[in-house]
Amino acid sequence: MAYTRKDVTTLTASERRRFVNALLEIKRRGEYDEFVRSHIDYYVSDGEGGLRTAHMAPSFLPWHRRFLLDLENALRRVDSSVTVPYWDWTRARSVGAAPWTKDLLGGNGRKSDRQVTTGPFAYSTGNWTLKENITDSRFLTRDLGRAANPIELPTKADVDGALSEPVYDVSPWDSTSNRGFRNRLEGWGTGRGSAAWRTHNRVHRWVGGEMLGGASVNDPVFWMHHAFIDLVWTRWQQRHREHRYLPAEPPGPGSRQYRRVVARHEKLPPWNVTPDQLEDVGRIYRYA
Amino acid sequence: MTTSVDGVPVPAATAGPARPRSRRELLRVLLAPAAALVLTPVVAASWPTDPHPDPTLAGPGSGFAFDEVYRGRRIQGVPTRTGGRAAAVDPRWQVTVDGRPLHLMRRADGTWLSMVDHYRSYPTPLEAARAAVDELGPGEQLRDTGEGDGGTEQGGHHGLHA
Repeated sequence: MAYTRKDVTTLTASERRRFVNALLEIKRRGEYDEFVRSHIDYYVSDGEGGLRTAHMAPSFLPWHRRFLLDLENALRRVDSSVTVPYWDWTRARSVGAAPWTKDLLGGNGRKSDRQVTTGPFAYSTGNWTLKENITDSRFLTRDLGRAANPIELPTKADVDGALSEPVYDVSPWDSTSNRGFRNRLEGWGTGRGSAAWRTHNRVHRWVGGEMLGGASVNDPVFWMHHAFIDLVWTRWQQRHREHRYLPAEPPGPGSRQYRRVVARHEKLPPWNVTPDQLEDVGRIYRYA
Repeated sequence: MTTSVDGVPVPAATAGPARPRSRRELLRVLLAPAAALVLTPVVAASWPTDPHPDPTLAGPGSGFAFDEVYRGRRIQGVPTRTGGRAAAVDPRWQVTVDGRPLHLMRRADGTWLSMVDHYRSYPTPLEAARAAVDELGPGEQLRDTGEGDGGTEQGGHHGLHA
């Protein structure tokens, strides 16, 4: 039977505690750092050669869907009652409320070095020492809202704009795709202004610190953010039932995207699964 | 895993991680000339240095070598004229912050992003390097992997592990 992913603001005290404890346990076992490393390794940019799976590509959504399922399965091996809650940043916009409370993710980083000093993921607890990282920092950092140059979280209008896109993705299937649901949600734009980083990308910037870099998985809010991104995908699928993951077929040898994106029925590395197989997850989980 | 003519890993019938077949081999080719430039000031000085390049004047390679102190951090960057035919007009870059490699990636629109600041991009490698410095805390240093992982390269990042 399918399990339920809940809005993080609705979790009971017990659900919060069990979610946090499961995270701490897989961190203790070393499993968590494998997820951090995997996300670093699979970030391939579209101005370079190579197959893109996790970002700047149609498979941004199924890649992170499967990544979330792997994390969720690791948590559920520790505690079978746990599911990954989602953070609806169109509604939960206060830095003083969930998920930024002491019994969940802890609060903002302190001013001097952006170190998170509250909650279960504070360095001083000894339970959340960063091992896979871009810098030599060993503690979790955040800069909620970017104090030095403030930005706002994306809004419901941004999400609605993405949901209104009738087509899943369009050629050239990368960060320059100017139409299509996938990039409207992933959030790559052009130019210098804030329109150049929207929706999903903007949330990474708004949280800041670890969430801004290649090792963003070090902040557990990564999973709540991507659970919401995944929820938005399910809403899009419900609204546009006649539309599917694209491209349906691999770009041909004459295309610049030849062998650089994953088509609907191709395997999605590092898993032995296709985007087609990841489109319907209704029998695994649902969103409350 | 199969490999196309330019060494780029491609999907095959069996799924697997998209990794360069021989990363060390790739890096050896990629980094040797760049390392020589960084470590030899006389040679490095022969590159035109412009701390404030006008992006509108820059070609697709996005400007000139740079060497400046920005917010107390020394940032240096040199285009590396290696890495295949395309590099002649579209060089890869070797960028360091306080001597430690900063991995830059290229977007399809020609802009640049760094490992530190991964969810937006900048018109030039210099701007990407400055933006990375903006995000470093006091005393925080890039992790020096000892593998020279500061270039732009084909494929994902590797060698960033503890």
